[in-house]
Amino acid sequence: MFKKFIGNSRAKSPWIMHFDCGSCNGCDIEVLACLTPLYDVERFGVVNVGNPKHADVLLVTGTVNHRNAKVLRNIYDQMPDPKGVIAIGACGLSGGVFRECYNVLGGVDKVIPVDVYVPGCPAKPEAIIDGVVTALAKFEGLKG
Amino acid sequence: MKTIILIILGIVIAPVLGGLIAGLDRRLTARLQSRFGPPLLQPFYDVAKLFGKEKVVSNFWQVFCAWIYLIAAALSVGLLFAGSDLLLVFFVQAIGAVFLVMGGLSTPSPYSQVGSQRELIQVLTYEPLLILVFASIFMVTGSFRVDEILAYEQPLLVQLPLMFIVLGYALTIKLRKSPFDFSTSHHGHQEIVKGILTEFSGPYLGIIEIGHWYETIFILGICALFWHTSLVGCVLLIASTYFAELIIDNTMARMTWRWMLKYVWSIGLAMSFVNLIWLYAG
Amino acid sequence: MLPMMLVLAILLPLVAAVGCYFLRVSAIRSLIVLATGVVLAAVSLALLGQGTFTYSPGTIVGISWDSLVTLADFALLFVMLYYAFKLKNQMIKIFVILQIIPLAVFEMFFVDHAVETPAIFADSLSLIMVAVISIIGSLICFFAIPYMKEHEEHLHLVKSRQPQFFFFLVLFLGAMNGLVLSNNILWLYFFFEVTTFCSFMLIGHDQTQIAVKNATRALMLNALGGVAFVFGMIWAYAETGSLDLQVIIQAGPMGGLMLAPLGLLCLAGFTKAAQVPFQSWLLGAMVAPTPVSALLHSSTMVKAGVYIVLRLAPAYAGTFLSQGVALCGAFTFLACAAIAVSQSNGKKILAYSTISNLGLIICCAGLNTTWAITAAIILIIFHAASKALLFLCVGTIEHGIGSRDIEDMHGLYLKMPRTAVITIVGVLTMLLPPFGVLLGKWMAIESASGDMFVITMLALGSAVSLVFWARWAGILLTAPLRDKVPAESQSVLTRLTLTALAGIAVVLSFFSPMLYTKLIEPMVGKSFEITAGVFASPMGVFAVYPIFIILAAAFIYSWIETKKSATDKSSATYMCGANVPETGVQSFIGPMNSPVELKASNYYMKEFFGEERLTLWVNFVALALIVLMLGGAL
Repeated sequence: MFKKFIGNSRAKSPWIMHFDCGSCNGCDIEVLACLTPLYDVERFGVVNVGNPKHADVLLVTGTVNHRNAKVLRNIYDQMPDPKGVIAIGACGLSGGVFRECYNVLGGVDKVIPVDVYVPGCPAKPEAIIDGVVTALAKFEGLKG
Repeated sequence: MKTIILIILGIVIAPVLGGLIAGLDRRLTARLQSRFGPPLLQPFYDVAKLFGKEKVVSNFWQVFCAWIYLIAAALSVGLLFAGSDLLLVFFVQAIGAVFLVMGGLSTPSPYSQVGSQRELIQVLTYEPLLILVFASIFMVTGSFRVDEILAYEQPLLVQLPLMFIVLGYALTIKLRKSPFDFSTSHHGHQEIVKGILTEFSGPYLGIIEIGHWYETIFILGICALFWHTSLVGCVLLIASTYFAELIIDNTMARMTWRWMLKYVWSIGLAMSFVNLIWLYAG
Repeated sequence: MLPMMLVLAILLPLVAAVGCYFLRVSAIRSLIVLATGVVLAAVSLALLGQGTFTYSPGTIVGISWDSLVTLADFALLFVMLYYAFKLKNQMIKIFVILQIIPLAVFEMFFVDHAVETPAIFADSLSLIMVAVISIIGSLICFFAIPYMKEHEEHLHLVKSRQPQFFFFLVLFLGAMNGLVLSNNILWLYFFFEVTTFCSFMLIGHDQTQIAVKNATRALMLNALGGVAFVFGMIWAYAETGSLDLQVIIQAGPMGGLMLAPLGLLCLAGFTKAAQVPFQSWLLGAMVAPTPVSALLHSSTMVKAGVYIVLRLAPAYAGTFLSQGVALCGAFTFLACAAIAVSQSNGKKILAYSTISNLGLIICCAGLNTTWAITAAIILIIFHAASKALLFLCVGTIEHGIGSRDIEDMHGLYLKMPRTAVITIVGVLTMLLPPFGVLLGKWMAIESASGDMFVITMLALGSAVSLVFWARWAGILLTAPLRDKVPAESQSVLTRLTLTALAGIAVVLSFFSPMLYTKLIEPMVGKSFEITAGVFASPMGVFAVYPIFIILAAAFIYSWIETKKSATDKSSATYMCGANVPETGVQSFIGPMNSPVELKASNYYMKEFFGEERLTLWVNFVALALIVLMLGGAL
């Protein structure tokens, strides 16, 4: 029973952490918009934390380059399991318009495994919320 | 026998109550910010989820300190329910505070280090105020024992109105509410990442969260002593105090620890002196 | 049997000291120190079983002991005068002469030598003091054996100065035992002076410039205390016509006239206990080798000052003087604890905390209720054990890492796990329930609750002391730490003394209810009902056994959980993702891809608690309080 409660709770309490890999800030603003009274994702138990050690879901925006790939990797490694990653926006998905730049690696999935891709330039808050909910399905799958 | 039952009752009920209060707190805060807010049981989901997470530590003393923090907090609530000595209960609670700080200091993380140092300053700020509150309760009732205090026939609030405000300062610091949330903060707030809690994760963070619920109940229990004569009055007092805390939390900005130390000590001591002089004169 | 025990307690250390001085072989010296320590400890326990007694030693080869003591007293004063001239210190000269002349006049013209005064009187307070001195003092002397050997190796001395060191160290134990057992006030004065002199010699032991300077200051301030003592003694004699301390105490309540001499005697106690504004000598004394700091300046010598104030407490109960003493003590408690927050030198923190705790004990003596006196005695016992332990820990750490600065002790657990854990135990016994020091503090705060100013100072002081203790305990653990760290090697005696002192501090705390019923209650009167190890009175309860047992279970359980966590995943600390990839390195990638090492240090809050900032004002206020106290007495 306790295990089941924990399993349910996972889906009810996704704490998100937002990492900006070098986005133009468009997607970042949309991510934060989810937390505002208009969208109020805290209804679903979502809390924006600043520390990978407390986070369940990592939201990544922007293109990954050689410099920040290490940081992205490190932050991902510091998140305790079970965890999910959501790549947000065109840049996060593939590198976007910067894809051919000499310093750009490409999308987030070049460095860490990505569970959900949320497209858009910038991605809409509704789409981001939808992405988080989709990622929760991964936790639901873990139900004991 | 009765004492033991009361202790166990306290230890079992307190976290449930504390969690519900935390949930209510988040909901009311959301309403104050014109949001809907999470379900009432959200704190329980959070803690349950934390217990389901992978265990990660960077120094094994963290584990030790987290557990001692929880047990000391639970014990202090148990002793309070059993009608023990106020000062003793407070000192037992201090065990938890000290071990939390030691746990925070045990990792070399700069955030955790700074958070722990600030936590100590918070303890430094509220501890003398609480001791003075207890001393003033003693001056009114003639005892530090909770069972003797409960036998006093008048609400303490009548004779100690200013001391109740002083206790309010301690409550605000202890609940980690703005403007005093330097060492770590709750809900979605962030301060030096997560301050003293930065390096605690998963189940160990959950343990500390439960310990925090106990501490909430502990300090609200002391507030309750100020109107112990009637149940309605007591509930009313606690509810309005907590609501005042929420208003303060939502209307104040986080200040610096220097300001806190100067402001709280000077205001707190001045109010205590005035109230104690009333007692002498009265 | 009794005379034999007294001889062992007071004179054996003297003989042993002479032995240490003349038999210049390290093995023999160690043996003498060990044997003396064991005998002293045994004798002190036997005396404790003896209970209250009065004893007059009579004569030896036709000369009365009283005259011998007087003779020795003058000899000692002249030796001090010699040092005053040697150091060319005008103040010491004046203070010593101010003792010699009145004492000579007093002895020749005033004292009626025909009256027999019992020289020795012991009640529970004296006997507890004897036990503290003999057991903890001996343990510290044991610790000194390996410590001094290493110490001299560090200094590269050609000629060992250990004989002289152990001479004064061991002699000191006898002098302290004599002091607490004396009933004749002239004897008390003599032993008071011996401790002053021993401390002077030991502080200056290393003979560096700073050591000599601080030793001089110690001599000066303690000589000032001696002057207060002499005048207080003469005045008291003028009022009561007796040298008998018990008679003087009983004469206390007879009228306002007795208050002035009592006030002077308390002042002498203040200087010896290094209360503000006389604290500077004890702070300077920290230059001495660690066993000296531990023995003289934490567990025993400074307790002599406290002892005098506490001994006289019944005499001034309920007077203005009593209130003054309480205020002075409480102020010292707060002021020194506050300054300690701004210190990073481990020994200095301990020194300030010592003065602060002595202030608390003196405050209890001033509060003068049965509760408060009980608190004072409990504090004396447990403070001695914990503080001696902490001093020895700092000494051990200093030899291990070459520093006594707590900033250098970050992550000490990695290098010296055993010492680190024992230090933490020491800190916890100073700070938290259910240990003895906190039991004493609890009683002190509860008995001070009627007094607005005293309770405020105690409340503030107790909060500030939490800050410097908790952070010290915490930073010893600061390290990325997942595997078991092998224990460092320690000499047998070091390990033995550290473990024994930690054991005493913890185990004795458990037996504090028994200690109370057996020793303290018969002397000060009943203030608590003890049932199942719970101190209870209508005012408050302190459940020693239940909390001890629950916490012991909690510690064991937490330790099991900690052991279980060995399989948990390790993680580097959070550094915004910029960790240097190698494991175990505490650095982040900084500018130009170069690693920057993490460094965190404590908040010292110098703008609030800085030594330079506070000392002047603290001294000023303390002086005002003392003038108030004495003025009220006059």
